[in-house]
Parts: sequence; structure tokens; C-alpha cells
Amino acid sequence: MIYLDHAATAPPDPRVTDAMLPHLTGRVGNPSEPHAAGRRARADLEAARAEIGALLGHERVVLTSGGTEADNLAVLGRAAGGAGRIVVSALEHPAVLRPAEALARRGWELAVAPVLADGRVDLAALAELVRSGDALCCVMGASNITGVLQPVPAVAELCAERDVPLHVDHVQTAAGADASIAGLPGRVTAAVAAHKLGGPRGVGALVGAVDGLAPVAHGGGQEGGLRPGTEDVAGAVGLARALELRQGPDAAAERVRRAALRDALEARLELPVAGGSVERLPGHLLLLTGFRGDTAVRLLDERGVCVAAGSACASGEPAPETALLAMGIDAAAARGAVRVTLGPETTEADVDGVAAAWAAVAAELGRAREALA
Amino acid sequence: MIDLSRAGALPGPDGDGRAGGGRCDDRLRVTLRITDGRIAAVRFGADACASATAAVGRLAALAEGRTLLDAARLGLRDVADLPSPDCALTAVDALHAALGDAVVRGAGAAPDVARVGVAMSGGVDSALVLAEAVDEGRAAVGLTLRLWIDPAAPAPERACCAPDSVRRARDLCHALGVPHLMLDLREPFRAAVVDPFVRGYAAGETPNPCATCNGTFRFDALDGVAMRLGCGEWRTGHYARLVARDGRVLVARGADPLKDQSAMLALVDPGILTRVRLPLGDRVKAAVVDDARGRGLAAADAPESQEVCFLGGGALAPFLARQGVELAAGPIVDEEGAVLGAHAGAVAYTPGQRRGLGVSRGTEPLHVLRVEPTTNTVVVGRLSRLGRRTVPLRDVVVHAPARRVEAAFRVRAEPIPGVLEPDGRGGAVVRLERDAFQAAPGQVCVLYDGDIVVAAGVVAG
Repeated sequence: MIYLDHAATAPPDPRVTDAMLPHLTGRVGNPSEPHAAGRRARADLEAARAEIGALLGHERVVLTSGGTEADNLAVLGRAAGGAGRIVVSALEHPAVLRPAEALARRGWELAVAPVLADGRVDLAALAELVRSGDALCCVMGASNITGVLQPVPAVAELCAERDVPLHVDHVQTAAGADASIAGLPGRVTAAVAAHKLGGPRGVGALVGAVDGLAPVAHGGGQEGGLRPGTEDVAGAVGLARALELRQGPDAAAERVRRAALRDALEARLELPVAGGSVERLPGHLLLLTGFRGDTAVRLLDERGVCVAAGSACASGEPAPETALLAMGIDAAAARGAVRVTLGPETTEADVDGVAAAWAAVAAELGRAREALA
Repeated sequence: MIDLSRAGALPGPDGDGRAGGGRCDDRLRVTLRITDGRIAAVRFGADACASATAAVGRLAALAEGRTLLDAARLGLRDVADLPSPDCALTAVDALHAALGDAVVRGAGAAPDVARVGVAMSGGVDSALVLAEAVDEGRAAVGLTLRLWIDPAAPAPERACCAPDSVRRARDLCHALGVPHLMLDLREPFRAAVVDPFVRGYAAGETPNPCATCNGTFRFDALDGVAMRLGCGEWRTGHYARLVARDGRVLVARGADPLKDQSAMLALVDPGILTRVRLPLGDRVKAAVVDDARGRGLAAADAPESQEVCFLGGGALAPFLARQGVELAAGPIVDEEGAVLGAHAGAVAYTPGQRRGLGVSRGTEPLHVLRVEPTTNTVVVGRLSRLGRRTVPLRDVVVHAPARRVEAAFRVRAEPIPGVLEPDGRGGAVVRLERDAFQAAPGQVCVLYDGDIVVAAGVVAG
């Protein structure tokens, strides 16, 4: 099997698993208890938290059950007061978009910032949309669909000028580009998830300017009162180790290697690519195949290649990715989207295998389509 | 699994069908080769989602090697395990379009006197006829004609699917293990029924498409298909009876006076009727619906078909306009020529019509007396002015010689006794004992001897 769907979830990295193992097998202790076992768990947890904070550039780290919870906390946590105004980019992941829409149903004003044809948020439009007094602005770090890196420093600048908090969904970014919020002006939060980085599922974090947020779930006072529930020490250790592997000093060389493989694959497939004219995550390739994306993905799967469709067909109602439509790609082309995402363990042989499988699938689909004429 | 091994198109196929093009823009095509009564090869074209593509690939594989009738049993159940059944349905439509096309092009089945064709509309009446044929242990085959397309309508074929009624008919058959075939006769239907209907209105007449449809198109087509498929007989759910007289089979009134459809069948060739059975002729509608409910037939509560079904429940005037009939505003006048009001297109009015005129003269009710297409004028007056006792007929068909007759000009109108005097040249005159008020030119006049249809003709002037 050739697994090229790292943007969905990455294979567990044994180095992460090794780091977590002692916390899953022998060590006991609730970090909130004052006894020896509890104190040791607390020390392990805080060490992991410090490492996460250091890698992402901010000492405030709220551990969550994943990226979705971190995004929800960042958005809904701003809504403790009365109705306000929130600006999000049209690229946002459902983990940001849906809670923002939930606020809109509660009387909030929701403004959606448009996207340029190259896949980046329209900064000029965003500057018009974000106003002083807004409760929040959300612009993701890198698109989960196209992999296009967003101009986060410029966005942070314009939000800081208006004193509007900025939330950056860095769930994809952390796998292949700098996800640190250090040095960004203003009040910035960022969300990450361990499983995109070779870490465990069910672990994520909201990092940064979390002061002023209200909890979404209520219970014990853990995580500074923002996220109740007994802390997951092993998960925190896993997230710290996974972040170190993807964001630490050794990450750069791997990103270069991955981008070269991706570029080689892109050149061999000779298909239109969404977001190909600007900087993308090194493993990301969004192909506009010209066929139906979901059909192509199923056929590739039958040849042992795991990739993702850019759209899902739910009972006769095809839903092309809104992020692609927002770039001005027409619905028919967007329905042909296939997302190929490479990871650290992807090899040249994998790229050869995908290219060969695609050639066979494209020939079959071409034959099926020609028969319509 | 998506099986693309049969992707492609057979050159010069024996059956060729397409489906899709709805909201999701899935497009499928199935082509068939039939050799020695069996489907020797199936190929398909697809630009469609994974479910639709998987479904068409599987149906193509399942159809290969089967007889036409056996392949016509393939349906939604064979692809129900695939995700997104709506999409799989498009593949069933495509296969059945190809099977039906093969029959239209002349494919058939070996004769079997036990085989019975059932004309299926998707409604409750034909559903019960089918269920009873199955109960009798007959080898039934459901037949549905797809007759109408309105190319000028806002979205004629953009629906994801063949019309719901065709699918309902197919589902009813498949639920009973019965093969179903859909015959797409839209183009010939247009030429044989709709165009004359439109031309008749444009000429100021009041054509009766139901009698023409059944008499000159539908029964001929169904009979041809049933015979090609080797059926010993075929059945419909019409509320009319068939009686033998002097060695001929004649149409007679059904037992349900409110549903009697004998007039619709007045122009059907008696030669065809020897092969037809009308099991609902001695039943009443309410009992049929009860029976269908009791059997749990899905069609028990299906909507009744419209009086002129290709209008699709829509209004006459916009339909005529879509068919290219020029509708221009003009005067509504009385017989003295005094203008009483205005109309939006004279030819959309029918003699005898009272509603929707919007004119008055004193307190007396005004009716349309005649339509004058050359001057685009609607003439109105008292109903009594329409009354006449001598009505000329053209295109007269005599099923059984008769002189004393009862003449019916409208469904459910009280028939009027009279005498039929054929002129020997395809024309005739009916001399009535009472005034007829609804004998509009173009209407079909059905002539009964008691309950039996003995002749019919078109009101000539």
C-alpha cells in the first residue's frame, strides 16, 4: 500500500510512540493530586507543555482533545459576552467555520474574507473587513485542501493594528512549515493536532493569547480553567515529541526532500494543480484531474494507493470543496479534485507507484468518458 | 469495487441508453449487443461519481449472458449495498434505457402463451393488474411507455432521472420479481399525438388527445411490444370492459360510472383488442384502491394521472405557447360583433367554456360559442346558441354496424340518443333527439349501442 494521505492523518512515528510508551504502561498518577505519583505526572505534563510552548512560540498552552476542539475553544471561547462580530477566511476548515456559523445563528455578525485565485486569502479585502471592536479574526496557516501557505504575519499585523484577536488554525501547517507564533504582533492563538504529525489521535493544543477566553466545556479547573478533564500526560508527551520532529532543527532538511519528491510527482502527472503558483506545504499536491475525484480515488485505492478526494458525494448532492470554489475554480473542475499529501516516510518508489497507478486509472476513466460521445 | 473492464461503447449496438445529467451532473451510457436472444456484450460510458460508476460497472457485468427479460429484472436491489443509492439509481436508469431501446429496435423474446404483458403507468390501477397476474402464476412483464418530452420547458431533462412514474412502475415490478421494460417513444408520440393536438388548437378546434393517444398510438405500440416479447396476451388497468359481438371484440363501458374510460378506447383497432384484457372493467375504483392497500402496493396512494397527461397538470395556454403556437391578445365579441372584453390568445379557448372569460352582458351567463383563429376572435353568447341536433363527423371508425346510437361528446356528459348516418366516404352525420351543447369541432364523438362502443368520429364542423 502506498499511503499518500498525510493531510488526513499521518502514520504513527515510532519515535513518538517510544516517548509515550512509559506513560501508557507503567506510570500512574493524576497531575492534580499532590502525592508523589501525582507530582511526577505533573512534572512530566509541564515538561511536555513547556516543550510545546517553546516549539510554537508562546508559553500559554491549553491541551485539548485535538485540532477541532482547539479551534472550537478559540472561536466559541470569545463568545461569552453578548453578540459580536467575527471575520473568517473562506478557506477555513469546518472546525473553524462551523462554530463561527453557530455564532451567526446566535445573532453574531459573520463576515467571510474572499480568496485570491492563487489560493491565498485576499489581504486587501481582509483589511476592509476586519474592524476595530471585532471579537475575532480567523485565518488558517495553510489550507488543508491546497496546502497553500497563508500570509500569517501580514494578517497578524492588520489584526494587531485594529486590536482584534487572531486565531490561526495551524493543524496542517505544523506538518510541513513553521507554525510558531513567536514574534507575531497582537493577540494570536494557534491550534495544532498531534495525529497530523505522526503523533497520537485525540491530542491537540491551543497555544498563545488565551487570556480572555471562556471555557466551552465545564468541569474541574484543569488547563487554567479553560479545558476541564484529567490531563492526558502520555498524549502531551506525544504531541511534544511529534512537534519536535516536525518543527525542530532537523525538520528543514526533511521538508526540502519532501518538496522535491512532490515536485517530481507533479511534473510526471502533468495535471492542473490548484495553488501551484505560490508557496505550499512541501508534501501537498491538489490535482484537478478532470475526472470525478471520488471515482478516481476509489480506483487508485483498488490499486493500493491511498489519496483523498477533494469533494464528497452525499446522496446525490455533490459538494465540491468550498475552498476550491472560493479560488474561482468552477464546480465541474472542483469535483475532479484529488489531494495527494506526502510525508516524511514517502519514498521515490512511492512516487513511481502513484504515477504508474494514475496512468492506468486515467486511461480507464478516459475510456469510460469517451464512450459517452 | 469499481469494475471498469466493460468501459467503452459497442459500435452499432442493439440497444443504447443514457441516464443522468441532473443536479450532480452524473452521465452514464449503456450499449448492448444481443445474439441469439441473449445479451452477448454490455459496454458502458461514464463520467460520474464513484457510486454511479460502481453501479453501472456491476449492472453491466450482471446483464451479460442474460436474456432480455431476465436482464429487465435487474434493478436497485442489485446495487443497494453501494453508498449513495440515488447515484446507483442513475445506473439502473441507464441499463433500463438500453434494454428498452433494444426492444424499440426490434429485440424480443421467444413466444410463451403463459407470458402476460402488463401496461404499467406507475399508478394504482396497473399495479393491481400486475399483482393479480402474478397471483395467477403468470409470467408477467411490466411495460411502460415514456411518451413525453417538452424540449421548450424550462428544464425538460434536467431532472436527475427518468420521471418518477417510470421508476415507480419499475419498482413495483421488481418488488414482485417481474421484469420491467421502459420504451422511450417520445419522438413518435410527439409526431402522432402532440403535434396534431397543437395544430388542432391552432386551427381553433378542440382536439381530444386521449382518444387519439390510445386509439392510434399507445395500444398499437404496447401491442407491438407485447407480441415481440412473446406474450400470449397483455393487460391494462383501464376502467372499460371488452365484449364479443358477431365475432369481434368491442369496448364497453366499465362498471364504475365515475371512472368509465370506454370513450378513451373508442378508436382502438378491434384486431388489437383480441389480445388485450381489461381486468378492472367490472370493478369500481374504490375497491381497487382498497385491494391495492390491502396488498401493501406502494402505488396505492400514487397521484392520479391528469386528463391530458402531457400537459403535466399545467395550463393549456403556456403549453401551446411553448409548442410554438402564437398567442396574441384580441377581442371577445358577442354574435352581433360588440366587443365585450379581451383575451390573451383566442386558440386557447374552447367552445362551451364559461370560466375565465371575464366578460359579461347583463346578468346572463356567457359561453364561448366559437373561436375564429383567422381574426383571433373569441365569440361568446348564450349557451342555447351552441345547441344543435345535426352534427357532422369525419374520420369515422365503425366497429359494429348500428343505426340507433347514443352520442357522447365529453367524458361523463349525458349521452344523447340519435341516428347515425354514414356517408360511405369516412364521414357521417349524427341526428340527435335533443340539443348537444358541447359538440365542438375537433372533439371525438363516441357512439354507443347500450354500453358498447360501436363507432367514433371527429366532430367536423
